[in-house]
Amino acid sequence: MTTDLVQPAAGSGMPEQLYWLAIPLAGVAATYVWRFLGVLFVARLDPHGAVLRWVRAVATALVAALVARMVLFPSGLLAETALAARLAGLAAGGLFWWLAGQRLAAAVGVAVLAFLLFQIALSA
Amino acid sequence: MAKRGDNAHGDPLRQEPEVVPPPAGYDWRWLGNGARHALSLPGLVMAMSFLGFGALVHSVHFPLAAAVFMDIFMWALPGQVVFVDVFTRGVPLLVAALAVTLTAVRLLPMVVLVLARARLPGAARWPEYLAAHFIAATLWVMSEMSMDRVPRAGRVPWIIGLGLSLMTGMALATIAGWHLTGLLPVSVAAALVFFTPAFFLLALADGARRLVDWLAIASGLVIGPLAHLVWPDGDLLIAGVVGGTFAFLLAGRQGRIRSLSGARGCARRDGEGQA
Repeated sequence: MTTDLVQPAAGSGMPEQLYWLAIPLAGVAATYVWRFLGVLFVARLDPHGAVLRWVRAVATALVAALVARMVLFPSGLLAETALAARLAGLAAGGLFWWLAGQRLAAAVGVAVLAFLLFQIALSA
Repeated sequence: MAKRGDNAHGDPLRQEPEVVPPPAGYDWRWLGNGARHALSLPGLVMAMSFLGFGALVHSVHFPLAAAVFMDIFMWALPGQVVFVDVFTRGVPLLVAALAVTLTAVRLLPMVVLVLARARLPGAARWPEYLAAHFIAATLWVMSEMSMDRVPRAGRVPWIIGLGLSLMTGMALATIAGWHLTGLLPVSVAAALVFFTPAFFLLALADGARRLVDWLAIASGLVIGPLAHLVWPDGDLLIAGVVGGTFAFLLAGRQGRIRSLSGARGCARRDGEGQA
């Protein structure tokens, strides 16, 4: 029923059927295996123990690194924007969050707005 | 206390948890509460990213149906983007799988962290395997922000409800992004994508309560780009393990976490109830 949504893979010359083999193997299984291991591990961990504190630090550093990568080495649409605008957006959001009582939603809005304004100003 | 002794002659590896009454089961009435919680700041930010994903798959002539299939069965945006990228460039299946699985390693700590605060140790395990499928960076952040007010027995159902509802929204966002491509100016479309790094960084700062959190954020921001220059595909993994270990060791006994949930129980959250 979704066949009307499927477009031919013009760019790749890839046969249509290959997607339905590749995604379950290279996509779905390759992703879920780590979640599966997570469920196995969590049953053996002390929820208040040092291992979990370390895991939390790892996850925090990892997400911070993801932010740094998206801002410094972006792909796709962000790659077409100015580095200065991306940095200015984060700085404005962080500053607002720090000075204006740590309001998360408003700070995210300020960050995106500052990014947009700088981007428009720099590309004009 | 007296009951604890009854286990002494039993399986020595068996550790009875303190909080759970024997016939423990999940309270599925929290499914709907979780589902409604998708309408929040994190859900909105996530939708922006998936609009961007829809636009991306359109631009590389990747089938929309396959993209929506990935939303549902992969449910990990960085991995999906990597898959689209390597697959449309025609790399061998095994190489594509390796690239994707490298981005998915990060899901392990997130599943552990969310489920450590949600699971009932005595209960059936299949709901955990189902809930784990929905856990990624955004749901981890959302659980840190909002799961404290959900009773323990309702948490795994809450995650599943939230995940199902988010997933429906993100599939729709992918389809919308596919059709919106080209209608928006580049700067506006890029601003939608910029929601994601802005939200993640500010949410990490907002959730940071102890020295170790701040050290982990700082070391991830510094080590991540350095690692990217050395090994672009493994940068997050290096930054997470090296930076997280560094933060953990440096903070040392400074910040003994009483409980992952306790410390942030009464923290006020502005992200709630938005949108």
